[in-house]
Amino acid sequence: MRLLRFVARRLLQVVPVLLGVVVVTFVLVRVLPGDPIRTILGPNATDADAAAARARFGLDKPMWQQFLDYLKGLATGDFGTSIQSGTSVGSELALRVGPTLELVVLSVSLALLIAVVLGVWSARRADRFGDHSVRILALVGNSMPEFWLGLVLILVGYSALGWFPAPSGRVDPDTNLTPLTGADLLDAILTGNGPAFTSALSHLALPVATLAIVVVAPLLRSVRASALEVLRSEAYLAATTHGLRPRTLLRGYLLRPTLVRLPALAALVFGTAIGSTVLIEYVYSWQGFGQWALRGLLYRDYPVVQASVLLIALGYVIVFLIADVVHAVLDPRVRI
Amino acid sequence: MAEVRVEAGARSFSRVLILTGAAILVVVALAALAAPLLSSWGPEEIDANATLAGPGGAHLLGTDTNGMDVWSRLLYAARLDLGVAVSAVALAVVVGTALGLLAGYLGGWLDDVLMRIVDIFQAFPTFILALAVAALLGNGTVNLVITIAAVNAPAYARLVRAEVRSIRELPFVDASITSGASTVGVLWRHVLPNSLTPVRVIAPLNCGWAMLTLAGLSFLGLGVTVPGAEWGAMISLGSPDVVAGRWWTSVPPGLALLVCVLGFSLLGEGLQERADARRRS
Amino acid sequence: MTHLLSIEDLSVLIRRPGRDVAALSGVDLHVDAGEVVGLVGESGGGKSMVARAIVALLPGGARTRGAVRFEGADVLAMDEAALATHRGHGAALCFQNPRGALSPTRTVGRQLTDRLTTHQRMDKAAARETARQLFEAVGIRNPARRLDAYPHELSGGMAQRVMISLATGCAPGLLIADEPTTGLDVTLTREILRQFRHAADTDGRGVLLISHDLASIASVCDRVVVLYAGTVVESGPVAKVLREPAHPYTRALLASVPDVSGRPARAIGGAMPLLPSPPAACPFAPRCAHATERCTAQRPPLTGDGWAYACFHPQTGGGAAAPGAPPPPPRGGAGRGGVGGVGADALPRPGGAPACPPPPPGAAPAAPVTAPPPQRTAAGRVVMEIEDAHVVYGSRFGSGGHHALRGVSLEIRAGETVGVVGESGCGKSTLARLMLGLTAPSSGTVRLDGIDLHAQRGRKLRRLRTRARLVFQDPVGSLSPRRTVADAIGEPLRALGVPAAERAERVAQVLARMNLDPAMLRRHPHELSGGQAQRVGIARALVGDPDLIVFDEPTSALDVTVQAQILDVIAELAGDASRGSVFISHDLATVRGFCDRVVVLYLGRIVEQGPVEEVFGNPRHPYTRALLSSAPSLDGGYTGARVELAKDLEEADAATGCPLAARCPFATDECRAEPQHLTPYGAAEAACWRVPQIPALIREGAHTRA
Repeated sequence: MRLLRFVARRLLQVVPVLLGVVVVTFVLVRVLPGDPIRTILGPNATDADAAAARARFGLDKPMWQQFLDYLKGLATGDFGTSIQSGTSVGSELALRVGPTLELVVLSVSLALLIAVVLGVWSARRADRFGDHSVRILALVGNSMPEFWLGLVLILVGYSALGWFPAPSGRVDPDTNLTPLTGADLLDAILTGNGPAFTSALSHLALPVATLAIVVVAPLLRSVRASALEVLRSEAYLAATTHGLRPRTLLRGYLLRPTLVRLPALAALVFGTAIGSTVLIEYVYSWQGFGQWALRGLLYRDYPVVQASVLLIALGYVIVFLIADVVHAVLDPRVRI
Repeated sequence: MAEVRVEAGARSFSRVLILTGAAILVVVALAALAAPLLSSWGPEEIDANATLAGPGGAHLLGTDTNGMDVWSRLLYAARLDLGVAVSAVALAVVVGTALGLLAGYLGGWLDDVLMRIVDIFQAFPTFILALAVAALLGNGTVNLVITIAAVNAPAYARLVRAEVRSIRELPFVDASITSGASTVGVLWRHVLPNSLTPVRVIAPLNCGWAMLTLAGLSFLGLGVTVPGAEWGAMISLGSPDVVAGRWWTSVPPGLALLVCVLGFSLLGEGLQERADARRRS
Repeated sequence: MTHLLSIEDLSVLIRRPGRDVAALSGVDLHVDAGEVVGLVGESGGGKSMVARAIVALLPGGARTRGAVRFEGADVLAMDEAALATHRGHGAALCFQNPRGALSPTRTVGRQLTDRLTTHQRMDKAAARETARQLFEAVGIRNPARRLDAYPHELSGGMAQRVMISLATGCAPGLLIADEPTTGLDVTLTREILRQFRHAADTDGRGVLLISHDLASIASVCDRVVVLYAGTVVESGPVAKVLREPAHPYTRALLASVPDVSGRPARAIGGAMPLLPSPPAACPFAPRCAHATERCTAQRPPLTGDGWAYACFHPQTGGGAAAPGAPPPPPRGGAGRGGVGGVGADALPRPGGAPACPPPPPGAAPAAPVTAPPPQRTAAGRVVMEIEDAHVVYGSRFGSGGHHALRGVSLEIRAGETVGVVGESGCGKSTLARLMLGLTAPSSGTVRLDGIDLHAQRGRKLRRLRTRARLVFQDPVGSLSPRRTVADAIGEPLRALGVPAAERAERVAQVLARMNLDPAMLRRHPHELSGGQAQRVGIARALVGDPDLIVFDEPTSALDVTVQAQILDVIAELAGDASRGSVFISHDLATVRGFCDRVVVLYLGRIVEQGPVEEVFGNPRHPYTRALLSSAPSLDGGYTGARVELAKDLEEADAATGCPLAARCPFATDECRAEPQHLTPYGAAEAACWRVPQIPALIREGAHTRA
C-alpha cells in the first residue's frame, strides 16, 4: 500500500518535468533553423508546393494553435503523422520500440551480472594483481568508443571468422517470424519458432556484446567501490572479528549492503545504453528506435522528434522509479 | 617476527594510474602539435593515385576512399578532438559550478528554478541530449563545444550544489559567518575552495567522455564532417570498408580515440583513488 | 597458572611508506576469567592496537614481536581455521561506535542469531528464543519486537546494548570493549558499564574494558593497566593504581580530570608523542617533572608483582587530589606560568620561560588550573539578554518539527561566566547558535549589547556579530580546510575592515597569548593537533575583543591531558571583567571548575539555575540531583542524596506537564498535567513544585527500599 502511494506520488512529481520536456522540444524544434518541408520536398519544389505541404501538416497555423492540437492529440494517444513517411507516428513507434528494448535489456542484464560477480571478486582482492587487472580492463571498457568496438567485432566476427551473420537486419526473413511485440527473440519464443530464435540470437550476439562491454565498466567500478567500502566498514569488521562463517559473511554482510547503491546506477546506465543504441543500431544496420529517432532528428520531422524525445524522457523516468523501488526494498534505511 | 601484508599497493597503484594517464595525454598532445613534422601529407591533401591504398609505402597507414593519408589525418585530428573536449569541459565546469554554488548556498526560489531546469536536462541520457542539441544547433566547432558543455553543465551544477549544501552545515562556515564575513566572502573564501574536490576528480573523466561524444556525433554525421580531420568522422568514413575486411581506414582512428580517452580515464581513476585514500586516513 | 589471556612482551610496529609508528612496545598484561581489567590511556597510546592484536586483526604493514596467548595458544601464530574459532568464541570485541558496527541492511535479531548459530550451534528457532533472552538481559525493552528492528531504528544507547548482546552471543571467554560508552550520556554510561561487570560476575567471562575515561570505569574494574605511547607504564588493582598511583603519568592523567566534588583539573604541558621506533628511554620523561638523566638514558622496566610500574622515581601519596600538592594560587596568578614541556602543544607562555626548557625546579608539573571562583556580587553590564526564546526546527515538508528550546530566558553580564549543562538533545547547542545569531528564535528576543540581534541586516548585522564569538566543539572542523591559521584567526578583523598590517600584528599578539608558535600561522588545519586547533579557535574568538564568548563543549573532542590544558586557557580568559562567557558542557565537573552561575537545561527548558556552589552543593531539582548522582568520579563525587531516573532520555517524551515527569521517581499526576515554572528556592531557582518535599521523599524512598 505504502509502495503504491510512493509510486503514485513519484509519478505526479514527474508530470511537471514531462510537461517541461513537451514544451521545450515543441518550441525548440520549431524555433531553431531547419525546415522539414524543404528538406523532404527537395530543392526543386516550388513555394506553392511547400505551402500546400505545410497546410497538410497544419504547420501554417500559429504556433500556440499547433501546440494545442498537439496536446489534444497526446491526450487521446495520437502522436501525429510523420512528415517524412506520412504514416502514423504511433504505429511506427510500436514497431521500433520492441527490438531496441530487447537489445538494451539483454545487454544491461548481462552487464549487471558480470559487474556484480567481478566487482565483488575484485574488491575482495583489493590491490592485488587480479584486482588491478580487472580495474584496468574496466577502464578500457569505459574508454571504448562503442561504434568503433562494433566495427571491430564485425571485422573479427563476420569478415575474418565468419561466425556471425552480416550486420544487416535483426532476423533472417526466411524464418517467417510473426511479429508480436517487435522483440524478435521474445516473438520467436512466443510463437515457438525455433529457426527464428536461433537466427535472432545470432543477429543479437554482436550488438549485445558491444553494448554490454561498454556499459559494464561503470557498473563494475561502482560495485567494486561499494563492496570495498563495505569490506572496510566497521560493520563488516565486527562480523569478521566475531568469527562468522565465510558464507554468512558473504551473503548477509557483504552482498546486500553492496547492492544497495546499484539500482540508481543501473538506471543511469540504462540511459547511457539507450544513448549508445543509436550508435550501435547504426553500425549494425539494426532497424530500431534509435535509428528511427535519429532520422527524425536529421530531417526535423517534428512529430517524430517530439514523440521520441517524450518517450525517452518517460522511459528514463520510469526506469529511475523502478530503481527507487528496488533500492527501497534492498535498503531498510530508505523510507518510501 | 610476524608480519601482516602491506596494503601500500593502493597508494603506488594510484600513482601508476596518474602517471600513465598523464604520460598518454602528453604524448598525444605532443603528437598533435608536431603533426606537420611527423607526416609529409596534409590532413586534407588528396593523393589521386592512391585511394584505399593499404598501409606501407608512401602512406604509413594507407589512404581512405578519398585518397587522403590516414596517418596524417590521425595526427591532425588529435588537435581537434583534444581541443574541443577540454574546452567544452572547462566551459561546463565554470558554468555548472557557478550555478550550483548559487543554488546550493542561497536556496529559495533560485534553487528551485535551477534545479527544475537541471531535472529536465537530466530526464535524458546525455548522449541523446547531445545528439538533439547538436542536430538543432548545426555543425561547427564552436557549436560542438557549446553542445557538449551544455549537456554536461547540469551534472556539475547538481554535484556542486550537493557539496555546497553539506559544506554549508559544517562548523567552519558557521565560524566564518559569526566572524562577520559577508555572504560573498563566505562563498568565495570557504565554500567554493572546499566544494571543488569532487569536480577535480570528475573533470578528467568527463574530458574522456566529451571526446567519445564528439566522435560519436561525427560518426553519425552531426559533428565534424569529412574532409575535416576528426577521429569519429574518420571511423564513419571507413566503416563501409570493414565488411570488406579493409581495417586500416577505421581501426587506427578508433584505437587513437581509445588510447586518448583511456589516458583521461586513468588520470581520473588515479585521482579518485588518491582522494579516497586521503579521506580514509 | 595460565591466564585466560596473557600478552607477553608484545611489540607492534606499523610500517607505512614515509612513516613508521611503534604502536606497541613490549606490552605485558593478562586477564583472568571472571575479572574486569581496565585498559586506559589517551588516544594514540595503543589501546585499540591491543584489542586488535587479541583478535589477530592488525592493520596492513604491521610487524609484531612477542606473543598473545589465549588459553595458552599464541593468537598471532594461529592459522585461518584456528582463528575462525578464536574470533568470537575465544575473544569477542564490542566496538566503540555501535551504530557503525552493526550491518545496516540486516535486522539486529538476524545479526545476533548469526552469532548464536555459528558459535553455539543452535538451530534457528532456539537461536531466536536465545536472542530474545539476551536482548532482555542487556536491558532492551520489548525484546521480541526489537529483534526485527534494523540498526538505524535504534537509539545510541540501544545500539550499544545490541552490540554487547552480539559479543556475548558468541559466548566468548574474553569480552573486549573498546570505548563502549563514548558519546553516551552519564546516566546511560553507568548502565552500560554495569553490563560488563555482570558478564564477568555471572557468566565468568574475562572482560577487557578499554577507555580514556578513568572515572567511569573505575567503579567496575578489578585491575587497571595504563598505557602511554605504546608502553605499559603502570598496572595493578584499581585501589592502588587509581588511589595512590606511582607513575607520574598516571598521576597526571588523574589530575587532568576535574571532579564534580569541586577538585579542579591540573594540566601538564606537552602531548603524547607518536614514536617512530620502540623507545630507548622513558617515553614520558620529556613531560615529567621528576625526570632525571637516568630517565632519558634508559627505559625503566615494568617492575612489581600485582602492582607494577615502569618508573625510576615512583611517587607515593594520594592520587588526584594529592595532599602534598601546592595550594591553589589565586585565579590568573603566576602559578600557571611554569607549565612547560616538549610536546607539540608546549610553547612559551607569557611571563614564563622561553620554549622547551625543562620546567624550573620550583614549579610543580601539575599546576592547578582553576580555583573556586571568587563570589562576584555585582557583575558588569548586561552583554547578552535572552527573553522567552523558543526555537522550533521545522521539517521542510509537513507539520511538526523539533522544538529545541521552549521559553528560555537568560542574562549574561560582563565579567561573569555562566555554565550551561544538560544531556545531549537538551538544547545546549541551539542555545549557543541562538546567542551567535546563527539560529533565529521562533519567538522571543535575543539582545547582544542591548541590540536585537535578529532584527539587524547586512553590514550592521555583520558588525554586531563580531561582538559575540563561538568556540566550537570540533576544533579542526571549525577551521576551513584550505585556509591557513593566519587567515582563520584574522577573519573577524577582515570583516571589520582592519588593514592587513594591523591585522597581522594583532593576529601575532593573540597567537602569542595562546602560546602558539608563530610558525604555525602558515599551517593548514589538518597539520594541527586537536589541542593546537582549539587554541587557534580560541585565538580567533579573542582577536576582535568581543563582549561575549560562547564555549560550546570546547574540550569534549580532546584527550584528557590536552583537555586540562585548554581548560586552563579558558579559565584564564573567563576571569576577564570586560567580557561575559558562556561555557556549555555535558560534563558537570568542568563547569564547576570556573563558572559563576550554572544553568541546567532539560528538553529545551531551564529546570534549575543559580550560583555554582549552590547548585552543586545543594541541588533542588530532581533532574539536577540525578545528573550529579550519575556523574563519574574518582574522589567520591557528589555526596548528597542520590536520585536515579527511571528511563533513558531517548525513550522519554515531553508531554504537556513537567518534561521530566516520565522519568522522575517523584512524579505525580499533577507533575504530568501542570507545566512547571522557575521558582526561587534560596539562592537558586528550580522548575519543580515538589522541591520542598523532595528531601523527605528521598529519605522515605531509602527507607522503603531498605
